[in-house]
Amino acid sequence: MMNRKAVSFFTLLVFAGSLHSQIINPKPLSHRLTGYNFDVKLDTATKTVTGTMEAFWINNTSEVVQDIQLHMYMNAFKSRNSTLYKESGRSPGKKRSDQGWINIISLTDRNGTDLTPLMQYISPDDANPSDSTVLQVILPEAANPGDTVFIRADFETKLPSRIRRTGFCGEFFFVAQWFPKFGVYEPAGMRQRAQSGWNCHQFHLDSEFYSDHSVYDVKITLPKRYVVGSGGMLINEYAADSNLKTLTFRAEDIVDFAWTAWPGYKVFTDQWEHVSITLLLPEARVKQVDRQFIAVKNALEYLTKNVGPFPWPHLTFIDPPTIGAGAGGMEYTTLFTSVSADRMPEWMHLPEMATVHEFGHAYFMGILASNEFEEPWMDEGINSFWEVRIMDHYWGENSGAVDLPYLKISDKTFTRLTYTRSDNNQVISNNEYSWNYPHGTYGMMSYNKAATWLYALMGIIGEETTNEIFREYYREWAFKHPSGKDFVNVVNEVVKKIHGDKYGADMNWFFDQTLYGTGICDYRVSNITNRKLPSEKEKQENDSLSKDLASKDSIYKAVVQLERIGEVMLPVDVLVRFENGDEILENWDGKARYKDYTYLGHGKIKWVKIDPEYKNKMDVNFINNSRTNDPDRVPVRRFADKLISLMQLYISVITL
Amino acid sequence: MKILRSLSSGAVRSLRSWKGVLIIWFFSLLLMSLFVIPMKGMVRAGFGNSMITERLLDGLDIEVISDLGPFLKSLASYFFSGFFFVIFMGIIVNTFFAGGLFNSLKSSSGKFSVSYFFRACARYFWYFLGMYFMITLMIFVFALLVVGLPVGLTVQSGTGPGPVTYIVGITTLVIFLAAEAVFLLVADFARAWLVSAEKPAFFKALGFGFSETFSRFGSSFPMMLILMIIQSLFAWLVIIIIRSWIPGTGEGVFLLFLVSQFLIFMKILLKAWRYGSVTCLMEENNITN
Repeated sequence: MMNRKAVSFFTLLVFAGSLHSQIINPKPLSHRLTGYNFDVKLDTATKTVTGTMEAFWINNTSEVVQDIQLHMYMNAFKSRNSTLYKESGRSPGKKRSDQGWINIISLTDRNGTDLTPLMQYISPDDANPSDSTVLQVILPEAANPGDTVFIRADFETKLPSRIRRTGFCGEFFFVAQWFPKFGVYEPAGMRQRAQSGWNCHQFHLDSEFYSDHSVYDVKITLPKRYVVGSGGMLINEYAADSNLKTLTFRAEDIVDFAWTAWPGYKVFTDQWEHVSITLLLPEARVKQVDRQFIAVKNALEYLTKNVGPFPWPHLTFIDPPTIGAGAGGMEYTTLFTSVSADRMPEWMHLPEMATVHEFGHAYFMGILASNEFEEPWMDEGINSFWEVRIMDHYWGENSGAVDLPYLKISDKTFTRLTYTRSDNNQVISNNEYSWNYPHGTYGMMSYNKAATWLYALMGIIGEETTNEIFREYYREWAFKHPSGKDFVNVVNEVVKKIHGDKYGADMNWFFDQTLYGTGICDYRVSNITNRKLPSEKEKQENDSLSKDLASKDSIYKAVVQLERIGEVMLPVDVLVRFENGDEILENWDGKARYKDYTYLGHGKIKWVKIDPEYKNKMDVNFINNSRTNDPDRVPVRRFADKLISLMQLYISVITL
Repeated sequence: MKILRSLSSGAVRSLRSWKGVLIIWFFSLLLMSLFVIPMKGMVRAGFGNSMITERLLDGLDIEVISDLGPFLKSLASYFFSGFFFVIFMGIIVNTFFAGGLFNSLKSSSGKFSVSYFFRACARYFWYFLGMYFMITLMIFVFALLVVGLPVGLTVQSGTGPGPVTYIVGITTLVIFLAAEAVFLLVADFARAWLVSAEKPAFFKALGFGFSETFSRFGSSFPMMLILMIIQSLFAWLVIIIIRSWIPGTGEGVFLLFLVSQFLIFMKILLKAWRYGSVTCLMEENNITN
């Protein structure tokens, strides 16, 4: 009979071997520094997930590591004193059944040594003693370079009733952040880090996640009538007993594993090239199936062409029912959730926007696994930029968000306005930890401002150069953990390679102002003057012939006065149109506080436009970008006339 | 036959009172212009000498409007604070003129006289205003009970908004529209009685409105339905025309103004037709009695 240690070791060997075997991807896509094997049961009555987890972490550094750190995110829903609820000012609910938590019942290492006495909760972000979302386990034996640390945990996860990405409502379950998950051990130098250490942040109100690419084998037992969707491929399904079934999923090289179960789901499948796509949604939204598949296939096509290939052969997405709306709009790489309603008019592209956006995270969080805690713009901002491009490309340049006959709104307009019209768009730069954005600026800054300055960057360097930047970013950083500086370096390399020194030695001047700066960008045309100069002939007062010709021969000194009102300096085009039809396009470097252009010999200036193609989306006011001495009043008059008539009609209708 | 007779007679009477309709149209234009023209000035000031208005030539551009920034805030503040005031004033003015219009639609009115019209406006104003608020309150309460309550209860029930809510909503809406025809009949009969009574009395008029509506329901209700459908279709047509017509030149905008104002005049004329038809039906019923 083999001793216990030998059995454990043998089991772990089999487990590790299975996680390193190729079941989905022909070759590993990532280093697979972590891996997980679950055997869990969903108790739909007590709203708990219980079972075992076997997991490993490989010390891929050249250092000796004394501990491991695990995310225990379900504990964020344990009490109103958790960091999540302190930041939100709310509570998880009055009843105990409303709360969520995760308990580790037992924790052992590869030798079967009990690790529970070595566990302690830590709060690296805010030192909140009541927060238990990060667990530190001191290793009995330090992990040497190249060592693999195995752990085996029996755990119980109680799902919260108020769905905030995860939880339950009635029979609907969305199970995310549900298991003890390794943080990321970062050696010195990685992401410009000065000292080695675990990067394992607490669960915050305004933050998403950061993890290593892992392999997951997940066995789930639950009542038969539940329909399940997950980020993995279904490998096996069998009846556990008369009422229960067991499903086995496998996922490779993804950063998180989530799943959902609800009896009301309808399942639809489709195919895009090598990718099998599965959609789960409520029966009331079956009419939206085509819309959802078109959206996800458009996103697949556009990102594959302009960024890089989607490497997984499977993709599942969920449109949660109304009762599970809190689970909507979230991403887990090969599983994501969209947002919709039972009645969603065709002209409102919200479901498409949500689907395109959440799918895009498979690239900018899943493949290019940036640290969303510390640099949220790298995921949300870049992803929003691509969402906008996809929406406006496939659903119309001016109608990506709303497409009514008399009201069209493009997605880029929506994004730009959210930033430019914000009252506090100057309070902080884009380079901030997610939970540190003050005054509710997290969303506006990390999504909208970043997408806006990326658009402005594209306006300067061109669309094809922008695409090439992202292709190179993908080639260089796929299945790694890039930082913001790494992205900037890629931009600098590609721009230099394509444009030489046209934009300077590097593009840091751009990022210093937009990404790392708090200033706003605003250019304006302050004045146009057309001063008539007397001709030589006019000066000869006694010459009657000259008098006749004076008006024809007189020339104009035409001056355009431009000003930079904001702090941000970006190069802009200036288009000057003269009354004789001549047009001159100037390239202003945009640095000076003011700039005058003087013209002789073209006659009077008719109008001037700074950035005539509206490429500089960072400019907070397009109205002052142009000027004419003869403005077109027709639209305003038309608006006034229509308003008068419609109000008269309204009065006539409501009076008896 | 009675319905057709009333409708045709109502049409003739309303055409005969075209001057009254013109007065109502003029004052409604004046009132709305007083509200909108300052707004136009604010928008112009916001755009200044910018070329950006060219982006508005094809229709509304949210990006351009939003870039008005502080001007937009002032504009919105002016609009929302002024809107309810101007609507209230519109109700008062229309109620005022309704007295004159009803009076001019009586068979005994003879040739239209402006001074007689205004005298009647003044004489019946308080009665008509009371009638307006009373009937509007009734419609509001009815809408709350018949539409709001069932739909609200359906939404609140465990399933949330769904097909059941939709069916309940549509059904109750149809019931409400039918009931609104009844309320309009009550209001019109009551007002027609007020202007023909030697001693006008508010509650007596209201009672008459109800009794006349239900005692001749077979003829009055279908007639009101026909009038409501025609008026609704016309209002819808006006909205479509105003919304979809996007002239790009000054001349075009002026033409839009002329056409839209003509349509508003016609809309008021259609209402006069309704008043005239109900007045005619009431007179015919009284003769029959």
